[in-house]
Amino acid sequence: MKLSPDERWNLIDSIADQVVTYGKYRHTLKDAIGELTVKPMTGIPIAIAVLYGFWSVFGSFAGTLCTDGFFVKLFDGYWLPWLQVVFPGEGSWLYSILIDAGGMTNGEFILSDNCFEAFGVLTSGLFVAIGVVLPAIVIFYLMLTLLEDIGYMPRLAVLIDTVLHRIGLHGYAIVPTILSLGCNVPAVTATRILETRKQRFIMMTLLAIFIPCGAQLGIMEEVIPDLIGYVLLYLVIGYFIFGFILNKIVPGRSPEILIDVPPYQKPMMANVRRKLWMRVSSFFKVAVPFVLLGCVVVNVLYLAGFIQWLGDILAPVFVGWFGVPKETAGPLVAAFLRKDLAVAQLSVIEMTQYQMLSAVVLVSIYFPCVATFAMMLKEGWKELIGSVAVLAVVVFLYGGIIHLIGKLIGVA
Amino acid sequence: MKILLMGHPNVGKSVFFNRLTGANVIESNYSGTTVDYTCGCMSLDGKEVEVVDVPGTFSLDPKDKAEEVAVAMLEEAKDTKDAYVICVVDSSKLERGLYLAMQIIEEGYSVIIALNMDDVAEDKNIEIDNQKLEQILGVPVVSTIAIENIGISNVISRLKDAKPVDVEDIAVRGAGAA
Repeated sequence: MKLSPDERWNLIDSIADQVVTYGKYRHTLKDAIGELTVKPMTGIPIAIAVLYGFWSVFGSFAGTLCTDGFFVKLFDGYWLPWLQVVFPGEGSWLYSILIDAGGMTNGEFILSDNCFEAFGVLTSGLFVAIGVVLPAIVIFYLMLTLLEDIGYMPRLAVLIDTVLHRIGLHGYAIVPTILSLGCNVPAVTATRILETRKQRFIMMTLLAIFIPCGAQLGIMEEVIPDLIGYVLLYLVIGYFIFGFILNKIVPGRSPEILIDVPPYQKPMMANVRRKLWMRVSSFFKVAVPFVLLGCVVVNVLYLAGFIQWLGDILAPVFVGWFGVPKETAGPLVAAFLRKDLAVAQLSVIEMTQYQMLSAVVLVSIYFPCVATFAMMLKEGWKELIGSVAVLAVVVFLYGGIIHLIGKLIGVA
Repeated sequence: MKILLMGHPNVGKSVFFNRLTGANVIESNYSGTTVDYTCGCMSLDGKEVEVVDVPGTFSLDPKDKAEEVAVAMLEEAKDTKDAYVICVVDSSKLERGLYLAMQIIEEGYSVIIALNMDDVAEDKNIEIDNQKLEQILGVPVVSTIAIENIGISNVISRLKDAKPVDVEDIAVRGAGAA
């Protein structure tokens, strides 16, 4: 026999009356902190402080302490020079791909003097993966895990709910959004907590286009520390503008939600440790092969003359429409495999500050990396095609707008 | 034999799963951490038992994709002989948890109820008479604090007492004293 919902609730009420006794409710310190962080007056300043703190720790730990303080010295000072000497066949194809493509100056072959320029699999590839991305990902996930286990995320969701409703989402969309700042791949799966197809589509499209992953953030901190703020600003603005437009044109519903705000908890260290390990290791299983493969593919394409050819063909679009040098064609190819790699590559191309800014934004919003692409395909091919179509329009429009803004303020 | 862990979002199903199987699935303090199912194994009296961490769901009428996965998992278990459902309930929100538990009982599954987060209920000064609840429902009821590994072995040792219950009997016993 089955009950109707009403019968079921009545029965449960009657059972609960018999078995549950409510004592006097004590207002605990936990409750007080809980309320302070969720009421807008106090909650919003606290949220800003938390996110700012998150960002500062991220930048100083990953960028300043680990990468600049240790890995740059290790890789540029010892690893690269050592490999350049011991690896045989300087100037050969294999040498160019694995160690150092070098550069021709006055008809003379010159070796690179740092791991951004060398672009070999064993030099730049390893440097980007271990020296830049590893510390960024570890610290990002450590802080995210702490916020999660304490129970802060639902509070953030409550605070940002109104804003996200404007773009067809709701507060809980903050979860895939923040996860995406670590890696877009698990974030695509996390969109399942949104109720309707419309919401899932908007979320997936926005995160694939506008949210840079932890690896990319790490490398941007490293190579364009002065510009990263502007890059993020352009991405955040784009996230909301195109979210707003998508909300208007995508059919479907965006229902209200009730959020369950759990009590704060002391994080269990064993759980934090295990979660951190799982996330970092699963990230690297995806990331390292693609970083190394990306180096190989790009080097081969360079040596084969494909990149120069592509650059020439796309030059009118790149130079005329986006306002970036045609050499950025290479990094855009690499960006499909790994965005961190693409940013590293951009950093060694001669260009103005504003061109660099435009190029990095383009790399971010252009095609999601191949791992994200595969994940989106798993969630549904129709959505994927839709997202890619939106993406093409966004890249073209937004790239042009950024160029136009640069022209208007006189820097492009 | 197969054990499904079901319950509302953020009641600690994944914590249970990790403690039971020694596996690693992500646990967090917010709802919707598990959006896909995860299977693992534990051994019980020398036998291999499959344990499934089902995404959180408020009822058996799914509202989002994660809940669809949950309901599909439960349907699938219908064909398994010896399927048990550990229904994880937040002790401080008993009524809501019982709604899902009742739905699962009505579908004819062998259910055991884990009143988890006993510490939170205690904080809020909420007391539950487990024996009375067990007597009314006719299914085992065990208090747990999964995150601290308290009560989990009790749940397992009482699995053998779980059996399908006719909801009409519950209705009679439940209305009785009220």
